[in-house]
Order: sequence, then structure tokens, then C-alpha cells
Amino acid sequence: MSSPLPDYAELHCLSAFSFQRGASTAMELFERAAELGYKALAVTDEGSLAGIVRAKQAADATGIKLIVGSEVRIDGGPKLVLLVQDRPGYVALCRMLTAARMRAKKGQYRLMREDVVDTQGLLALWVPDEGAGAGEGDWLRQVFPQRAWIAVELHRGPDDNARLEALTDLGQRTGLPLVASGDVHMHLRSRRRLQDVMTAIRHKTTLAEAGYALFPNGERHLRTRKALGAVYRRELLEETLRIARRCTFELTREALNYTYPTELVPAGHTPATWLRQLTQEGMRWRWPQGASEEVRQTIEKELDLIGQLKYESFFLTVHDVVCFARSKDILCQGRGSAANSAVCYALGITSVNPDETKLLFGRFLSVERNEPPDIDVDFEHERREEVLQYVFDKYSRKRAALAAVAIQYRGRSAIRDVARAMGISQDLAGELAGMMDRWAVDVPIDQHLRERGFDPDTPLLRHVVDLTEQLIGFPRHLSQHPGGFVISQYPLYTMVPTENASMDDRSVIQWDKDDLEYLGLLKVDCLALGMLTAIRKTFHMLGDAHRGDWTLARILDEKRDCEKTYAMICKADTVGVFQIESRAQMAMLPRLRPEKFYDLVVEVAIVRPGPIQGDMVHPYLRRKQGLEPVEYPSEDLREVLDRTLGVPLFQEQVMKIAVVAAGYTEGQADELRRSMAAWRRNGHIERHRETLIKGMLANNYELEFAERLFRQIQGFGDYGFPESHAASFALLAYVSSWLKCHEPAAFACGLINSAPMGFYSPDQLLQDARRHGVRVLPVDVRYSDWDCTLEDLHDVSVQPAIRMGLRLVTGFREDVARAIVNARTQAAFSDVADLCRRACLDGRQSGQLADAGALRALAGHRHRARWAVAGVEPQRPLFGDVPEREEIHLPLPSVEENMLADYAMTSTTLGPHPLRLLRTRLRAQRYRGWADLQGLPHGRLVRTVGLVTLRQKPGTASGVIFMSLEDEDGTTNVVVWHDLAVRQRRVLLESRLMAVEGRLETESGVRHVIAHRLVDLSPMLGGLAVSSRDFQ
Amino acid sequence: MLWACILFPQLALDGVVRRHASPDEPLALIAGPAQRRVLRSVNEAARAQGLRAGQALAVAQAIGARFHAIDYAAADAQRWHDFLAAWAYRYGSLVSREWPSALLVEVEASFRLFGPWPRLEARLREDLRELGFRHRIVLAPHPWAARVLANVHDGLAVIDEQPLLRALASLPLSRCGLPADVTAGLVRMGLRNLGQVWALPRAGLGRRIGEAALDHLDRLRGTQATPLRYFQPADAFESRIEFNYEVSSSQSLLFPLRRLTADLATYLAGRDGGVQRFLLRFTHERGAATELPVGLLAAERDPAMLFEVARSRLEQLQLPAPVREMELLAHQLPPFVPAGRDLFDMRPQQAMPWEQLRERLRARLGDESVHGLAVRADHRPERAWQSASSDVQAMPSLPRPGWLLHQPIPLRDTSLRILAGPERIESGWWDGDVRRDYYVVETSQGQRAWAFRPPGEQGEFMLHGWFA
Repeated sequence: MSSPLPDYAELHCLSAFSFQRGASTAMELFERAAELGYKALAVTDEGSLAGIVRAKQAADATGIKLIVGSEVRIDGGPKLVLLVQDRPGYVALCRMLTAARMRAKKGQYRLMREDVVDTQGLLALWVPDEGAGAGEGDWLRQVFPQRAWIAVELHRGPDDNARLEALTDLGQRTGLPLVASGDVHMHLRSRRRLQDVMTAIRHKTTLAEAGYALFPNGERHLRTRKALGAVYRRELLEETLRIARRCTFELTREALNYTYPTELVPAGHTPATWLRQLTQEGMRWRWPQGASEEVRQTIEKELDLIGQLKYESFFLTVHDVVCFARSKDILCQGRGSAANSAVCYALGITSVNPDETKLLFGRFLSVERNEPPDIDVDFEHERREEVLQYVFDKYSRKRAALAAVAIQYRGRSAIRDVARAMGISQDLAGELAGMMDRWAVDVPIDQHLRERGFDPDTPLLRHVVDLTEQLIGFPRHLSQHPGGFVISQYPLYTMVPTENASMDDRSVIQWDKDDLEYLGLLKVDCLALGMLTAIRKTFHMLGDAHRGDWTLARILDEKRDCEKTYAMICKADTVGVFQIESRAQMAMLPRLRPEKFYDLVVEVAIVRPGPIQGDMVHPYLRRKQGLEPVEYPSEDLREVLDRTLGVPLFQEQVMKIAVVAAGYTEGQADELRRSMAAWRRNGHIERHRETLIKGMLANNYELEFAERLFRQIQGFGDYGFPESHAASFALLAYVSSWLKCHEPAAFACGLINSAPMGFYSPDQLLQDARRHGVRVLPVDVRYSDWDCTLEDLHDVSVQPAIRMGLRLVTGFREDVARAIVNARTQAAFSDVADLCRRACLDGRQSGQLADAGALRALAGHRHRARWAVAGVEPQRPLFGDVPEREEIHLPLPSVEENMLADYAMTSTTLGPHPLRLLRTRLRAQRYRGWADLQGLPHGRLVRTVGLVTLRQKPGTASGVIFMSLEDEDGTTNVVVWHDLAVRQRRVLLESRLMAVEGRLETESGVRHVIAHRLVDLSPMLGGLAVSSRDFQ
Repeated sequence: MLWACILFPQLALDGVVRRHASPDEPLALIAGPAQRRVLRSVNEAARAQGLRAGQALAVAQAIGARFHAIDYAAADAQRWHDFLAAWAYRYGSLVSREWPSALLVEVEASFRLFGPWPRLEARLREDLRELGFRHRIVLAPHPWAARVLANVHDGLAVIDEQPLLRALASLPLSRCGLPADVTAGLVRMGLRNLGQVWALPRAGLGRRIGEAALDHLDRLRGTQATPLRYFQPADAFESRIEFNYEVSSSQSLLFPLRRLTADLATYLAGRDGGVQRFLLRFTHERGAATELPVGLLAAERDPAMLFEVARSRLEQLQLPAPVREMELLAHQLPPFVPAGRDLFDMRPQQAMPWEQLRERLRARLGDESVHGLAVRADHRPERAWQSASSDVQAMPSLPRPGWLLHQPIPLRDTSLRILAGPERIESGWWDGDVRRDYYVVETSQGQRAWAFRPPGEQGEFMLHGWFA
């Protein structure tokens, strides 16, 4: 007959958000606490509330009460567990943690005694260090009157009885009551291995070296109440319940009471009236001749919905940011379901005309879903920082901060850290990591390990594999969201702790976007997009050259159905164009044959893992080409799938199908969308499988269709692509295509001047421009600016020439280029010495110019230029320069030398392409060039050769590697199947110049070679530096 | 003067290979920081596998090559360099190690002794082949000329000025020993060999490459002298005493031993060094000499102590025959770190200083029987307790017995009293999992013992140690 189990509330417990300390997730902790019948569970991550929203969700799911708290170590003082009693206590805690975090570097905190002053509503458990004196206790009793305890944490240490006696004695001396607590680091004892590994990782050491940094045993788990009863006196356990009852704070939207800033609304207006006024002003700007009745109705409907959900301030904020950007001439473009609305068009947030998008789904906002509005605004990548700083300035860093992103362990990072903790050398750890695809979430299988020469049956490797599997998905550290702002009317520390970002002058709150959504905080996304920079620069150049004042909206309005542009796109002549420039996209273009804007929306979305895994691409293509009839699974779905020929391609369609075909509510469909984004992490999407398929079968859909749809939902998981985003991207794809088609010179300049960006190097862009008849002029100190510029502008009917900028000279600095331009504006350079003096060039810089061939006009060929710059004395002689009279003879650079120097210094050449120089020799070996392949029929065996400019291993194609071989005329695409890649791994990875023997395949204008054998011809190149862009 | 330059293109690797059990297997020397290990040099077999010097280790492993990876130690290469210098010293008194992986020997003075150059050269090559070092040898009238010609030639011997200039003129610029930036600058002017550079106007050239580089060009031609530092053979202590009679009792050897150790101590003091290991060699009338190595735990130079240690070793030695000659050889002369002594040292007269006691015990009981104890940070008691020859560190404040048994044994005692515990230890799963509950117990005899049993169980105790 045993006494009943004691009741217990755990008051000191770390979750995975105490990075590299807590070895269990909140959900694991709460599920275990529920099994054990705990009355409550405090989650007290160290100096952080980053995991508290997840804890709250876990608490709600399990029905166990959550106590909000945090473990902190006061700088040079005691270790405390602070527990939140009520709302003032919560604010006090957030404020304290903010102060401690803002004082320290990113990822650390420093809490001072003077931060612990306003403690109203906070309870404190003191975890005394070995041999702690009564002094700390007295201080605590003062600062936390009637709210401080001594935490008794017994873990089968060297002498628990003695420890308990010492603490009891301390309690008597300080007058503080004692309470039991667990210092919990994991939900089960079996996690101690992972916990040990985390400890070793945290200390940057190995398990064998970690020594006493590891816990001596696995007692720091959620112990059974029976075990607790055996360790603690009854009254110590009962005290936990008294404390738990005092903590009544609940983390809810209501408790946080988030308020949007109100300062954007002028006196005399409410947010609603002000938004209406701005919208009406915008309508007059967008539709000078008056908006159509339909547009006016849409706008009324949207404003009404915004009003119901009280999102006016949010739209006003986005509008404000966009206005700032516009005033600074920073190009921007909104995307997302709410962004592509009529209101946002009127407010200038998007350039996609609602007349265009009325076809799109009305996923604008929904009362039922009550989700935050989806507006991302892309800005020019080079100037996005100005926008961020504007927001920080306007609202102050107290009221504005970036959202956090909890960076998770993925395959590579996990196996690398585990392997190192296990004492595996860095080389081998790197080797193991190399085995994982960068973003893989599965551990390597034994077969893989054997291939790499590892023995998976050794205990060491078993540990590595098991622990890696456990560690994957754990949060690793907190990073900043790329551009998601949270702005509040009141200081942010009334809601959430704020900390420093790794970049100066930025702060980050401790919550990520899911946390924000859960608690109803609104986030404004200001993202960076390189293509906007390139387009803006192109617009400027065209304006300056009197070739038209273009804007995104103007091209869309006036040039929207340009046949020439679409013809170019259909030929896959899209080097440099936004989105549709990748190899996979180029392979699709001639088959999809886009002829109107909506085709581009489809094109952008279709070459993605979602549609590919869902097997949607080929049905769509066949229907588009008229090879199979357009059918709909049912009449109800006709409306949903109408524009995509009966094949679901977009995220919105999948959700809508769930509603129409499987009987989901809007709310359920939205949950489905969330699960899509997170299914790999928590597997929740499996729950939907049954419901979805059952629902569709009930509505007489075929099982095969239902299964296929589900596969596609899974595929969307990682790369879900909504139509509303595709539309914004398609806009930029169209604008950039139009520019490439009609202003190839300016467009190439714009791209190069915004580098690095996109798929192609400046070399490839310049070659492409030259193939389109654009003249490219070499770098020349007499004419070149830092950026590439346009020359020969007299006749607007003729394409200007591109003057290569000094930015193309390897290692050259922008300020030096500016100095040259300034000096040149004063007076033309008389000789090299004059240039070096007036532009203050040092020997390195003048040498770079000489090698780049930029001094040709002043000094002659490269060798002479080198001689000349080397002879410039650093100091100006008193009586001017004494020119050297001696005649010197230096060898003339050969064509090859010039080519090598061109590549070395400017990464491109205006002279003959290296393959042209080798062509005779290659012909002798019966290798064909790109041009030779064009006329050959499908199925021919060919031998071809080229510089390897790209090696790509797409995640969707199992083991296939795509390669691009460039020669003087064009780029040949090569497909290397997995087994060949394994057989000829070194040739594949190491060749710069590669020959391929294989079979030519051509299908609707798409041409590639299926490799049978690879040959490394790199030695023929000599010292030529060619870099391939290798994509995993 | 004529200078022979002997270049060792694979000095470090050859040094490793000549001691390696299977030199024909693929071997690679690895160097560089832990994040970026690269192959420093590879042998023939490794080259056949596609390995190259300069390759990243990760790449070498990624291409699936199987090879022995040996860490490159600069000190080793240095030692072989010294070793070879000492060897070359036999053939000329002016030997320079000025340049890494190369030796310069002035040989003209040695022709009288060894014969003309071809004979001497053959001899050098034969020695080096036997020693197992690959090499290139060039003879020239100036040190630098010999050095740079060895970069591209082997077996070249130029004695006269004109052929020398011709040989030098065709030398590629990158092999001329000019600083890399100067070479790069000249190459970018289209210049490929030394002849082209010499053809340029001297003033204009000097203005561009600087005085130092001009000087270098002059040294190649020999119009300017090359200052060299010369090699001196290494320091070592060797001293012997010959007896003009045969000594047969070890007792009679004590006196000369005291002298030898005293001389050694004086020598050590003079060079501010210590000795950790030395050899006593006793030569007999016939038969092989008897050798007695003497080792100490730390570098010492106190004469009394050196004598004491040597004496206790000598006392244990069974001499096979009477001794004619006694020799002390000390080749390892590490720096000496004196032990700090208290100014007011109150040691009783009888007591022996700890160092002396330690050495005496070692001498009497054998090296293995006397060792230090070290604490390792490990929760597992048997791992935390390690023998070491270094000094003992402080224990953390854990209740641990002074005597830990080698192997836990069952503790059969029916009237045990538990004084403290359980202390649970669960650790070491990565290389030997331990899960135990430890107790401090008192046995029926009143001894305090440290014992454990499986966690949470009530069964038999295993005895693991005794408290003092």
C-alpha cells in the first residue's frame, strides 16, 4: 500500500530555445508533463522568450498550464529563475531581458543588478551556487519582497543530504522559503546523449574533452512524481503548487494588446478616413480619366474588409515606406495576395494593374481566416538598407525591430557539429557533411556512408547517425528575418524582449513570423531584390541617353503585348531576364511558348518542385500544345482551374480545391496552407491526407486525382508558390524581357552594374550582348567610369555601344575609379605619369590598369604599359618629370597572352574567345562546336567541347547533373546521368575545359547532349582562369 | 672558389620515407591549418593515384585515393637539413644552410683531398643515394648562381664566366630567386628570362624593381659578393676516461663517475642547459662495450643529483668484464628550468629532497613502478584517475577515495552502513558507458569504502576504492 503520488509543478525547465542546452522541444516537454500528471510546467529558457510561443501552443495542445519565465544569471551575481505572475510581471521581464540583451553582443546577454529593480509581478527562485552566502538572500528578499524562494535542485549529486541541509540552513538565515525544482534540460533521461553532445558543441570541444562541463548523470529530465517523492520532502513539492497558482498570466493576443502606430494619421482623421482619402488620391493618379465602375466597386469592397479587420494602419505603414522609397528614387514592387489589390495599386504599392489581376483569386483578406495581410515589398537590393534605416529612424529602435528567424539544424550543420563533438577530425566531419545535401533533413543512409569509405557499423558512426537524426530540426541560434519589421505604438519591450542583430544599428525581437502571427502582431516585409536595382539603373541610363522615361507601370501599360518580346522569350533567348533565365526555365520556354502576361505568371510558377513533384507540368504542357483535351475533374472545379487548363499549379488553387472538392472550410484550408509550409518539420500534413482524400472521394472525385493533388501539396511544402507572388514576379520578368529585347545595351549595363546577381557573370552577359549585335568597347582610362556606360548615343534608332567600366577590373576599388573620373574631368591625361599623379594611383592600382589594358591609349600595349607604370616615381619631383629617353624593347603580347590577361584582369575578353583559338586543334580531333550542333537531327552521336560555365544539381532531379559548355558561338547544355557522374566524378568536378561524347536530343527547339563520356581538356587552356558557377 | 649547390626537392618527404616501414605505398605529407589541410608533398606511388602537392586534403579524400597521410613537421625537415649539413661538412669546411632545402659547399679547397669535381660529385651522389635523399647538384663559381641553376639543372658544372652567363641568361624569370612581386612585375612586361632583363637599361630597370632586386641580379652574375653564414657542427657533450688498468669493482668506478658527472654539470651550466638522458659506456678489453642509459624525469644539472642518479643505476649494473674505459655521452641537452626554492627552507637534515627521493625510488624499483597521478576531467572515476609522469593537479571538490582499485570487486559485507549517497554517475556513453549509484559506506571493520551498484537497485555492492 503506497501513499498517493505527490502533486507537482515544474518551475525550472529549459526548452530547445536555450540553444545547445535544452535537449527537448516544448511539445516533447509538455506531452511528457501531461503523461506524468504535472499540474503546471514553467518554460524558463535562459535569458530568452524566443521559445515561449511554441511553449504556449504546446501547453494549449496538452492542456497543461504554462508558466512563463526565464532563467538568468546576474552579472557577477546569483542565478535566478524568474516567473511571471501577471501582466505587469511579464512586461517587467521583457524589459529586463531587453536591457540585458541590448547591452551585449548578438546572442548574448548581460543582466546587471540595477536592471532588477522594477520586479512587480515577478517571482524569483534563487538557485544558490555552491557555498553561497546569506548576503545574496538578503538582497533578493528586498528586491522581491514575499516573492523570492530558494530553489532546491537535487540530482543525485555527491551528497544530496548535505546539500539539502546546507540549503535549509541558508533558508533559515535569509528567511527565504524553500521550493523543489528540477533544472530540467530534457523530457526523458534517454536524451542525455543529445544533451551531452549539445554541451560539447556549446563549449566548442569534444565529449572526451568536455569533462566536468557535462552533467554527471541524466537526472535533469522530467522525473516521475514517484521519483520526486523519493527525493524531496512533501512540503517542498507542495510549495511548487502554491507558486504555480500565483502565476495567472496567460500569453494571449488580449494580454499583449498589440497596438499599431497611429502617427501616420494626421489630426482630424481616423486611420480609416485617412486611408480612404489616400486611396482616392491614388485613384486619380492611376486612372486620370477615371476608374471604371468595376474598379471602384472592388476598392469599396477592399476598404470595407480592411476596416472590418482593423488593418488600416498596416496599409498606411506600407504606403508610408513605399512613399519614402519613391521620394528617394528607390524602385520597389509589392507582392502577395493583399499587395496585388486595387487599393495597393492606387497606393502605389504594386504596379500590377487590377484590371490584369481581376482574374486572380480573391485571396485578398478574409474575415474568417483572420490572418495578417500578405504584403511583401521588394526594394532595390543596393538601397534596401536605406529603407530599413528610415523605419528605425521614424519609429525609433524602441518601437521598431526586425522579426527573428530561428535557424534550425539541417543535415549538414547537424552532422558536422555532432561529428566534431564525437571527436571526429574536421576533415572527416567535412567529408560527412559533404555527403548531405545542403538542406537535407534526412541522415545519410548506410549505403552512402560505405560508398565514401565510412563503416556505418562502428559504434562511433552509429552514434553520429543517431544523434544527427535527433539534432536535425532543433533551433541552433536566432537570426534576423531578411526584412520583416514589427512596429508598435508602445515600446516593444512591453510585448517581447528585443536584442541586437549581428549588423550594427539593427534590433531583432525574439519571435519569428509564426510567433507573430499567433499573437496577432503585424509584420511589414521589406525585402531586397537585385533585379529592381538593375531595372532602375537601366531606366536611368535610358533617360539620360534620351531613349525614353520608362517606369514599370508605363511599360506594362504601353508595351504590354509586345510580339517581338514574346517571340524572344519563346526562343528562350532570356539570358539575364528575371526568373525565366535559369536552365530549367529556358528548357521550358520553347515548349510553353508564352504569348501573354498570364502565360508568364504560369511560367514563373511551373518550374518549381511543387508542380514537378505533383506531376502537373506535363499534363499542362500537353493541354497547352493542344495534344490532349482540356478537362475538368468536375464542373465545380472548372471555375478554380479554368485559367490553368484544368491543372492545378498554384497554392491558391490547391486550397480552393480543398474547399470546393473536399469540403474544407476556409479556415481549414488556411491550416492546410500552414501545414504545407511546415510539413517536413512536424509531419502535420499527414493528418490532412486522410481528410482530404476522404472528402474528395465523397464528392465523387477519382482516387488517382486525389492522390496526385496530395502529392502536389507535399511538394509545395518547401517551395509553395502562390499565384499572387508569381504575378508580381511575372511583371518583373516581362519588364526585363522587354528591356532586353528593345534596349539590350542599356539592360546589359544595368545588370552588370548591379552585380553580383542572377545566374550569369558579366562575361556571359557581355558575350550575350555582342551576339545580339551590341558593340562592346574595352576598359580605357580616358572613357571608362566605375560602372559600365553607354556610348555612341547620337542616333536613337541605333543601339548604343557599351563601354566597359572599371568595376570589371579585378580587385579595382570604386573610390579609385572615381578619382580617375574626377581628374579626367579637369583635363585629359597626357601620359601615364600624369594619370598616376593626378588620380593619386599607387603602384598596385596603376599595375591593375596596365594589365587590364586600360592604358593602351597612353602607353601602348600591356607590356609597355607595365613598364611605364612601374617607372612612375611615387613622389612628384621638384621640377616636373624628366621623361626617360632610352628606347626599350619589350616583346609584343601574343593573342593568347592578351586573352589570358583579359580573363585574368576583367574576367572577359573582347578578343577571340579561347575556344576560337583552340578551334583548329579541336576540329582535328573531330570535336564540334555549338554552331555545328544547331543543324543536326535528334539522336545523333556527337563530340563537342566547351568551357564549363555551370554545374547544377537540382534538388528535384535525382542525381542528374546539368552542365553548360560555352564556346565562341553559344552555350551547349549537357545532361550527366547519375551513374556517369559517379564513374567520372573527378573529370566532372575538376574540368574547366571539357569534351563530351554523347547523344544529341532536340525537342521543340530545346537542344541538349546526353553525355556518355567526359574528357578533361583543361591542360589546353594554359593559365586561363575560368570559374564555373556550381549550384547544389 | 667553386660552389656546389645540393638541392633536396623533397627533403621532408624523403626524411619520412627513409624511416617508413613500407616506402612504396602511397604517402603524402599534410600541412596547413586544421580547416584547410593540404598535401605538401607526395611520393611516386601517391602521384600515380592522382594526388598532387598543393591539393586540399578534402579533395584528395574525395577522389577516393587511399594513402598514408603523415603530418608535416617543419622541425623534422629542419633536423634533416642539419643532419645533411653535418654530412656535407665532411666534404668541405664552408657549408651553408642559407636557403631552405639546399646546401652550399665550397669544394675547390677539397679537390686536393677528394680528387677533381667529377670524382667528388660522384661521391656526393653515392652518399646521398645511400642516405635516401633525392637531390640535384650544380657547380658554379658563385653561390647564388649555383643555387638558381639547381632549380632547372642537375649535374651542370660551369666554371668559366662566359658559359655561366649563357646558362643564366636562359633561366626562366620565375626560377631566379627574385621576390615574387618583382618577378610578377617583370613577367607582366613580357619578360620571360634573365637575359631579357639584363638587356634592359640598368637605371630604368633599377627605378622599377628597386635596389635590392638589382643587387640580386648582380649576385647571380657574381659582380657582387653573397654574404653567407656557415654551418657549425652541433653541440653535444662527450667525455671519457681511460684507465691504465682494468677496473673490476663498480665501487672503484664511483670516483671517475663523479668526475664525469661533475664535468657534465659544469658544461651544462656553461651553456645554461640541462640533461634529461645520457649514456654511460664501459669499454672492455674484448667483447662489446656495455652501455648504461640513464634517464631522468625532468631536465637537471645539479652535480650531486646527476651523480646520485648515475650511481644508483651503476650499482644495479652487472658488468660482464673489467672496464678499460668509461665514457659519458649526452646528446640531448634540453633547457633547464630550476625548481623554485623557498628562501627560508626549513627541511630537516635527514630528509632527502623530493626530486632526489623520486629518482632513487625509480632507480631501485624500476621506471614503471613510480609515476605521478593526474586528474582528468571525466565523470567516470576510473577515467578521472590516470598515471602520468607529470606533476599532480588539484582534484575538484568531489568525495573521492585516495585509493581507487584497478578493477572494482564485489564487496561482501553483511553489516555495511551507508554514510552518504547515492551519487549517480551516468556518463561516457561515447567510449564506455558507465551507469552507477555510488555510496560512501562503512564496513563492519570500520573502514570507509567507496562502493556502487546499478542505478536505483538494492543489490550487492561493488567495491571501488578506500578512503584514507
